[in-house]
Amino acid sequence: MEEREISFATLPFGPQHPASSHFHALVKVEGEGVLELEPHPGYLHRGFEKLMEYRTHPQNCVLVDRICVLDPFANELGYVNAVEKLGNLEVPERGRYIRLIMTEFGRIQSHITWIGIMGMALGFDSICRIAWGDREKIIRLNEMATGGRLYPCYFCLGGTRRDISPEFVKLAFETLNYLEEQLDFYDRVFFNNESFITRTKGVGKLTAKEAIELGATGPNLRACGIDYDVRKDEPYEVYPKVNFRAITRVEGDAYARSLCRRDEIAESISIVRQLLRDLPEGPFNTEVNPLYAAPKGECYFCVEAARGELCFHMVSDGSPFPYRVKVRGPSFSHSLVEFPRLAKGAMIADIPVIYWSLDPCPADMDR
Amino acid sequence: MVNEIVSILKARFPDSLLDIPSEGRSIVVTVKKEDFYPLLSQLKESGFDHFSDVSVVDYPDEQRFEMVYHLWSHQKKIRAIVKVAIPRESPAVKSVIDLWTGAQVHERENHELFGIGFEGNPNLSELFLEDWEEIPPFRKDFDTRKYVKEKYYREEEGYPIVKG
Amino acid sequence: MKKLTPSFVKSRDEARAWSLWAINYFTACGFMELLPWVGSGYDMERFGLLATPSPRHADVFIVAGYVTKKAAKRIKMIYDQMPSPKYVVALGSCPMTGGMYWDSYATVKRLDEIIPVDLWVQGCPPRPENIGHAVVMAINAIKSGFKGH
Repeated sequence: MEEREISFATLPFGPQHPASSHFHALVKVEGEGVLELEPHPGYLHRGFEKLMEYRTHPQNCVLVDRICVLDPFANELGYVNAVEKLGNLEVPERGRYIRLIMTEFGRIQSHITWIGIMGMALGFDSICRIAWGDREKIIRLNEMATGGRLYPCYFCLGGTRRDISPEFVKLAFETLNYLEEQLDFYDRVFFNNESFITRTKGVGKLTAKEAIELGATGPNLRACGIDYDVRKDEPYEVYPKVNFRAITRVEGDAYARSLCRRDEIAESISIVRQLLRDLPEGPFNTEVNPLYAAPKGECYFCVEAARGELCFHMVSDGSPFPYRVKVRGPSFSHSLVEFPRLAKGAMIADIPVIYWSLDPCPADMDR
Repeated sequence: MVNEIVSILKARFPDSLLDIPSEGRSIVVTVKKEDFYPLLSQLKESGFDHFSDVSVVDYPDEQRFEMVYHLWSHQKKIRAIVKVAIPRESPAVKSVIDLWTGAQVHERENHELFGIGFEGNPNLSELFLEDWEEIPPFRKDFDTRKYVKEKYYREEEGYPIVKG
Repeated sequence: MKKLTPSFVKSRDEARAWSLWAINYFTACGFMELLPWVGSGYDMERFGLLATPSPRHADVFIVAGYVTKKAAKRIKMIYDQMPSPKYVVALGSCPMTGGMYWDSYATVKRLDEIIPVDLWVQGCPPRPENIGHAVVMAINAIKSGFKGH
C-alpha cells in the first residue's frame, strides 16, 4: 500500500467571510481537523482612548456609544458612572431608573441580534430575518425615547438628556409582551431544534478552571458554573432594588452558552417590568456644567454589558478633558484567548459555531 | 475579608502604601518596582484569580509610566488594584503570564501602544497597527490631531478640509 | 462582432438592475443600519439584493462605515477580484471626509483614494429610509444605462 503524505494547509478565516465579522484568523489545518488558530485583530482599530483625551466629557458621551456597536447603552452607562464616581455627582432616582430601563432593553436587543447571527452562521437563514425584524421593535422604542436609533447619546452627567413619556411606557409594556411570545417561538423553532442541538452540544467545551484562567466573563463564564455577574457582585445604580438572578449552567459548551443568553432575555424582560412598575416621579437629571472638570483622581468602574464585564479606568487631572481613559472590552479575551484555545482540535465546520457561541464584538476588541 | 488580606500584605510588604476605599469592597496598593511581582504572586495565592486588565498612564512631566493592574477574586468578591511606577526611558517590567495566562494579550497591546517591554512574554508582535513607523501612539508626546492634519487635511480659512 | 440592438441593451440593463448581488462584508459601525434591510423590517431581497460570500459573484460593494489602513488593502483586493461591471456605494460620513473619527491616526479619510465610488449616502449611520432611497437611485441609474466600472 502506498504511503500518503499528510500535508498541512493554512486557511484564512478572513476579514471577508460570511461567518466572521471583520476579524481575521489564520487556521492551520490537517485534513478537516484544526491544529492551531492564530488571531489577527486590528481591522477596526481607531485609537478610541486617544481620541477621548481631546474631547470634553459631554463630547465623549457621544463618542463612547461606538465602542461596542451592538450594545450602546452599556458603554454610556460605564463612562458616565465613572465620571460621576470621581466627582460624587448626584443623580435623581427617576434618572437612575430610566437609565436601567434603557440598558436592559439594550441587553435584550443585543441578545436578539446574537440569535440572528448565530442562526445565520449555523445555516438557519429564516431565523436571522425574523430576529432582526423583532429587533426593530426595540430600536423604535429607542427612537421614541432618545431620538436616535442605534447611537442614542442619551445618558449624560447627572442623569439622562430627556424624560420618557407615558406613551413610551405603554409601548414598552406592549413590546415586552410581544417579545415574551416570540421567545416561545424561538424555543420551538431554534433552541429545541434537533439540528441546533446536535451542532452545539459538546462543541467548544470550556471547563470552569480554564474559563477563569483565560479571563472569561459574562454568559461565557456563567455557562461553566461560575456565578459572576457585576450587577449582583458590585451593584450599581438601582440594581439592589430589583429582584433577579444570575443565570448559570454547568456544561460549558456552545449549547449551554446559547441557553444562558436565551434565559437572560427572559430575565431582562422581568427586570424591565419591575422597573417600569416602580418608576418614581420627579426630576430626571441634575444640571451639570458642560465644561465640567472632574476632580483630580482615579476611578475604576465595571458594568455588566451583554457580552461580559466592561470596565472603565478613568484618570482625571482636574481639567475638563480626561487625562486617560482605558476601556476593558469583554470581547478582548474572548476572541484573542479563548477562541484559539477552543478551536484547537475542532473540525473546520465547527469554527463558526464556536466563534459565535462566544458572542464576540470585534469593535470592542479593537477599540 | 478585606482586613485579612490587608494584614497579610502589610506584614510582608511594609513599604507599600495600602488604601481601602469607603465601600469596603476593594483594596488599592501602591508598590515599588522590586516588590511588584512578589506582591502579585501573594495576591494570586490569596484568591485573586481573575485578571481584569492592565492599564498604563503616561506622566511625561514626572518621567514615569504608571502601570495599574486590576484583579478580582471570584470567591471573596473583592477587587484589588495594584499600582507600580516605572521609569519612562527604557520602560520594562516582568510579565505576569505565569500567574494569569489571559494577561498575555493585554501585555501585547500595551507593548504596541506604549512601547513597554514585558520580560518573559513570548509573543509581543504587533496586534492592531500595521506598518506603523512613528512613536507608540498612546504616549503623550504623540499628537494625533497634528499627525492627521499634516497627512490628510489642508487648511482653508481655518478649517481642515480633506485633501484630494 | 454583432452589433447589440437597443432593445437587447435595455433588457440587459433592466436584468442587471433588479438582481444586484452585494458582497458579504461586515465593515464597521455604519453597517448596523444594514441589519434592518436584511431582516424582515425593510427586507432588501424584494429589491433583488442578495448577500454573497464570494467576490467573484458580486456586483455591488457596499462599504458601510470607516475604513482603517489595515482594512484598506483588503478592500482593494476584494474590489480587484470583482468582475466588471461593478458599482461601489459608500455609506456614512466616515468614508466621505473622515466623519466621527477625523482625528484618528488609523483611519483612511476618503474612500475614493483607494477605490472609485459611485454613490455616497450621508448619515452617521444613514437611516434605513436613506439607504432605501440610495438603493432605488442605484437601480434606476443602472436601468437607464449607468455603466459602472
